[in-house]
Amino acid sequence: MRKFLVFLIVVLALMVLAKDFIVVGTTDKIRSLDPARCYDYFSSNILQNVMVGLVDYKIGTSILKPMLAESWDVLDGGKTYVFHLRKDAVFEDGTPIDAHVFKYSFDRAIKLNGDPAFLLSDVVEKTEVVDDYTFKVTLKYPFSAFISVLGYTVAYPVNPKVYPENEFYEDVPSASGPYKVKEWIRDVRIVLEENPKFFGEKPKTKVIIINFYESAATLRLALETGEIDVAYRHLDPRDIIDLKGREDIVVYEGASPQIRYLVINVTQKPFDDKRVRKAIAYAVDRKRIIEDVFVGLAKPLYSLIPEGMWSHKNVFPERDLEKARELLKEAGYDENHPLTIDLWYTPTHYGTTEADVAQILKESLEETGVIKVTIKYAEWSTYIDYFLEGAMGLFLLGWYPDYLDPDDYVWPFLSESGAKSLGSFYSSKFVEELMIKARGFTGESARIPFYEKVQNILAEDVPYIPLWQGVATCAAKKSVKGILLEPTQIFRYYILYEE
Amino acid sequence: MSLKAYIITRIILAIPMMLILLSLIFFILRIIPGDPVKAILGGKAPIEVIERKRHELGLDKPIPIQFVEYLGKLMKGDMGKSTLTGRPVWDELMERFPATVELTLFGFSIAVLIGVFWGAEAARKKDKTMDVSARVFAMLMYAIPIFWLGLMFQFLFGMILRWFPVGGRISAAVSLKPITGLYILDSLIQGNWTALKDVLWHLVLPGTTLGLVISSIFLRMIRNNTVLMLSQDFVKAAKARGIKEKVVLYRHALKNAFVPILTMMGLQLALLLAGAVLTETTFSWPGLGSYLIMKIRYRDFPAIQGTVVFFAFIVIVISILVDIINALVDPRVRY
Repeated sequence: MRKFLVFLIVVLALMVLAKDFIVVGTTDKIRSLDPARCYDYFSSNILQNVMVGLVDYKIGTSILKPMLAESWDVLDGGKTYVFHLRKDAVFEDGTPIDAHVFKYSFDRAIKLNGDPAFLLSDVVEKTEVVDDYTFKVTLKYPFSAFISVLGYTVAYPVNPKVYPENEFYEDVPSASGPYKVKEWIRDVRIVLEENPKFFGEKPKTKVIIINFYESAATLRLALETGEIDVAYRHLDPRDIIDLKGREDIVVYEGASPQIRYLVINVTQKPFDDKRVRKAIAYAVDRKRIIEDVFVGLAKPLYSLIPEGMWSHKNVFPERDLEKARELLKEAGYDENHPLTIDLWYTPTHYGTTEADVAQILKESLEETGVIKVTIKYAEWSTYIDYFLEGAMGLFLLGWYPDYLDPDDYVWPFLSESGAKSLGSFYSSKFVEELMIKARGFTGESARIPFYEKVQNILAEDVPYIPLWQGVATCAAKKSVKGILLEPTQIFRYYILYEE
Repeated sequence: MSLKAYIITRIILAIPMMLILLSLIFFILRIIPGDPVKAILGGKAPIEVIERKRHELGLDKPIPIQFVEYLGKLMKGDMGKSTLTGRPVWDELMERFPATVELTLFGFSIAVLIGVFWGAEAARKKDKTMDVSARVFAMLMYAIPIFWLGLMFQFLFGMILRWFPVGGRISAAVSLKPITGLYILDSLIQGNWTALKDVLWHLVLPGTTLGLVISSIFLRMIRNNTVLMLSQDFVKAAKARGIKEKVVLYRHALKNAFVPILTMMGLQLALLLAGAVLTETTFSWPGLGSYLIMKIRYRDFPAIQGTVVFFAFIVIVISILVDIINALVDPRVRY
């Protein structure tokens, strides 16, 4: 009996010691691990842990630092970028990552025209190999946010021996980052293992297993029962609050670059009247949305450029029902002739909370006593069709940036083509010129005045009403350390470890 | 008509049926708002990029032309590529199907066991406790929404008692090389007992949930049909000859009660194979049901069409099989 007990203890101890892996659970899915095609959060998230690009963000910040590029020169007034590459970087099969690989990868991404390709093809004129370790990119126009674009996965180099030139590659990627993919069973799990060929720091945990779940409820249960060590994306806000009360689980909160807002179709009656748009901006109750729906897990937003990003300025007013009534009166609406409008939302694309948000918006607008709101909804793909066709006047939408630069928070919204693709149909030559000018300057201080002006006009013309910016959350066992919810939204598995 | 001729006719008739179904789904998908490019890039990429992508995928062509092109490819066995993942639809279906098969067979076995034995016993002891409890159970199970039952099981057996895992097919720490995709079979082939135990462990909650809910349908039908058979003359005659009650019940009454039930079971099985959507979603089971839901959300035309064709195929195959079995069970059935 004693022998058996000793044996049991040894086996158990071995089991505990042998656990050099961390299990992460998510309700997200991987769509594609080809950088030329990958354009959704979780696929990018995996690529950011198994591949590297010319630049990377300093851990915990949104400051760019050299990665595969040791340095770079900006020439021709911001139209030409020359990158000096590091010489010790290789893919997991030993293929060196040189200028030829970069040219291959950039040209391939543009040629294949995958979902994210426009981020490169809209700005890149041509790519050239200067020598084995010098890579040159010529742009169509000066674009100061280009370096930020290079931080996104579409600009990651791919192994020419693995990724074919003329078609997308949908298998396990050839790694250049801290991890390589050991096993990938779609929608079941992906196993990441230390990549011994990586030039940088080794991951703190050798193996990361990511399990995919279908619902937030199951994800939460999986964490509580210990099936997973970390639950990352998407627990419901109410679950987060419950989990906060548990002793064995830690809930992490961090900044998120995602913003949520109302879009107003400025060509549709009655929203073509600026006073009506302004009145709605005065009447929305951001604080109630955040408290009632997100139980505090969000921040009110008063501009399209989120708080925490350089050039952000609070330009939209605080709630003021009196002002809203005054403006509506000027526009010809009162208690006897109320403004009747439809408010649209989409029920699943932004999580389960959207219907509640719409209800609170309705109530806050109706509190003026002058607005009557009918809530309408459509499933995501129908919703898109409706707003692209200009069929919806007032609707909820969200933005998740492709690159972290104020440009990506104003250009897609306020340029004529951008506004068309978001359903606001706003158009202002002056604003467009301001944004183009800002793109021509490098250096934040030179660009800030332009973005401040743009934001002022945004609050004056009100084609959008910013509502809140998200807070990223993650829940994990107390023993898991190294969890960092970064402003860039890069979730780095290689700094996780278990105590 | 001989059985052989009947089966051949059925197969020939299946072709226009599938064609009608396919054209319905093809045209409806394209008529309702939303398309795969907009579902992925809408609200993100500039409108010109969206138009360019639609052109590339041929979505701007007239629908009848798209249909003819699609049919042409389908004839050659090409179901096209998923617009969401870019992978061949067939490969994706084959990846998902084994999970559904495993769950269905497990759930179905539970349903048949409960349905047949409890149903027959309930008929034998009509209006006694056994019968009343069976009727109450069947009614309850029929009325309970399947996802709710699943959630309750997860909560009770997963979270409170910690007996079974709450979702997925296999634990993160257990590795198993997929060969057939049927994890039970794969672990048996590889002699991987740890994996086998783990896979069975994962099957218990979703399989039981599915099984219990379907068992209610079987239970009621079997009970009612057997009650009817037990009052027939041939049963009375069998009893009069002194044959044991159990033998009378299972060999005479139940066998005769089985013909309509078999047809129903077959269709039920086909429906389950066509994706037990809610159970799969509740238990994060990576089968065809959850696959179709995801694809519909993103208007993945080729994947939705492929899945529907595949479902239709399963239903047809199973209904033909049921007819054959019926003919074998009941010699009176001729076609």
